[in-house]
Amino acid sequence: MTTLPFAWRSLVRQPARSTLGVLGVAAVGALLFDMLLLSEGLVVSMRDLFERMGFDIRIIATDQLPAGSPDIRNASMLASKIAALPTVQSALTIRTEDADFETTVASTNDGSIVGVGEGAPPPWTVLRGRDLRGSHELVLNQHAAETLNVEPGAMVAVRATCAGGSEAPPSLQFRVVGIAELPFEAPEESAAGTTAASLSEACGTPQADIADFVAVTSTGNPDAAAADIAAIGAGLRVFTNEQAIGQLQQGGFTYFRQISTVLSTITISFALLLITVLLTVSVNQRLGEVAALRALGFSRNRVVLDVLCESALIVGIGGVLSLPLGVLMATWLDGILKRMPGIPAELHFFVFEPKALLVHGSLLAATAIIAALYPMRIVARLPIAATLRNEVIS
Amino acid sequence: MKARLFLALAATLIASVLALHAQELPQILVSRQLATLEGLSVGDTVRLAKDAQGTRAREFRVAGIYEPTPDPARLGSVPREVRLHLPDLLNLDLQPAGAEHVDSINVALVDPDSAADIARELNTRTPGVVARPAEGAAGLGSTFIVLERFHFAIAAVTIVAATVFLLALTIMLVDERRETIGVLRLIGFPARRILLQVLVEGLVIASAGALFGLALALASEGLINSFFQWRYDTALVFVRVSPGVAATCLAIGVPLGAIATVAASWALLRRGALRLARR
Repeated sequence: MTTLPFAWRSLVRQPARSTLGVLGVAAVGALLFDMLLLSEGLVVSMRDLFERMGFDIRIIATDQLPAGSPDIRNASMLASKIAALPTVQSALTIRTEDADFETTVASTNDGSIVGVGEGAPPPWTVLRGRDLRGSHELVLNQHAAETLNVEPGAMVAVRATCAGGSEAPPSLQFRVVGIAELPFEAPEESAAGTTAASLSEACGTPQADIADFVAVTSTGNPDAAAADIAAIGAGLRVFTNEQAIGQLQQGGFTYFRQISTVLSTITISFALLLITVLLTVSVNQRLGEVAALRALGFSRNRVVLDVLCESALIVGIGGVLSLPLGVLMATWLDGILKRMPGIPAELHFFVFEPKALLVHGSLLAATAIIAALYPMRIVARLPIAATLRNEVIS
Repeated sequence: MKARLFLALAATLIASVLALHAQELPQILVSRQLATLEGLSVGDTVRLAKDAQGTRAREFRVAGIYEPTPDPARLGSVPREVRLHLPDLLNLDLQPAGAEHVDSINVALVDPDSAADIARELNTRTPGVVARPAEGAAGLGSTFIVLERFHFAIAAVTIVAATVFLLALTIMLVDERRETIGVLRLIGFPARRILLQVLVEGLVIASAGALFGLALALASEGLINSFFQWRYDTALVFVRVSPGVAATCLAIGVPLGAIATVAASWALLRRGALRLARR
């Protein structure tokens, strides 16, 4: 009989402990898998969101991403200057402010309104109705449309609360022309999109030409475009998508990566310790049996390999079971974390990547080998005659 | 000699004038991080303006360095901040009289329990102003609560994994003592008596394990906090083994350990004494 079926029979002979061992590895493996998904999940998800928006470069007024940057003044002029660069395809000013929306029968508070400039298609996807064509027009997200119970063609009063505004402006009437999916909209948050000029009017400062950031699409070489934009020298910070992601990785996103590293380390150490104990106790209980096998002609390498195969089977079966369990757990944990305020609906904390699967497999394989080392040593150094004598005497 | 005396007097006079000038300057507090970055210390004079061009910049004297209130929402960003008196900030802005504005007003109530009622009344009486009780402002979905739920979920999964392993270990350990239990049964010990002994043993081992775990957590608390505080340059406390947390750990760990031991022994005790003692 070859080694693997022999090891399998050893495990099957003790079904309770083997099942519990496998289940334990499955639970620990699932947690490990989730931590690996968490370590890069936010970054992968954010990169995906950035790419879906279709812009290569973001220009803001400070070096701190993602939020809290001062406004960019004379934004439309800056956007025109940038759009004229040969390496730039288009430039769009984007400004977001807090807003409440009201109809004659319903209202929704704590929402946001995005004002976009001209020169590039707006960053939202129209689901129903049409896109903006003139001033005082609005696209609403699905949640706002459902809360206000409106469809394209309805009128909505917008009360914007704008940074830098000296007083609360009166509400302004907008016509809803479409229902759209806005970028970075949070679940259960009302959001709307309009033109930059209309937003300035809603803020009570129609002459203001400001933006939170300018989104730029390059002609194909974001780095060259970023260098050209930086050469304009408007005292602004220029970030390609990769640089923006890098900034986020250095900033708030690191918390989850650190948590993931700490928990992965603890999880794998826990698994290692417990599998070692399981195998060691199991081997210690079967010393007489191992000695008998050696006496029957099994080589030292063969019995050592049996122990390694047992470890591999427990960790292997547990590891395979841990994957679907991990996916279920990741969905559950993602749901919990996405309840954080201001998290976009499309952003995920746990994102599958083939690399995570590879690391998961490698870590579990290493665990199986390292955990088997001590019991393998016991078996390898077992004195055959003395052990058999002890078995008979006891 | 006269010239030297004159120079000394002049220097003293200039120093006094400068000191007096510095005293008269409006005062600011500088965050520790900004002070470190810019090499500022108490008594220094700095110029502040609302824009990078330095338009209408004014001089201020650094009256102190402060540690910013830790804010998990701003983890990873360096708080380069100064605090100044509101009139000084409004002066920087040069808003016309009557057009000055503030972002929020914090109100301390004589009776904090009436916060909700007063907020409701303020909202009714002052349109355009939103009043919220400070406690409720965080909201149920705030970052803290969500992170707490996340950590709780992770802890629950860890407990499940630990329980499974614990059961596997106790089954093996009890199995190792199969013969002893068989002999005890043969000399007249009833199964209930042996089970009680196993339960007491389980309790002792689980208590020792839980206490060791707590000691390990207490020992690592400082290390984890030091690392993350250094990593993020913050005074935020990341791990705190509070009496409540310690009590919860004991309340979960000890009964779990004891139950696992009894559950593992139960199957063994149901077998006949002769079968247990037989080799």
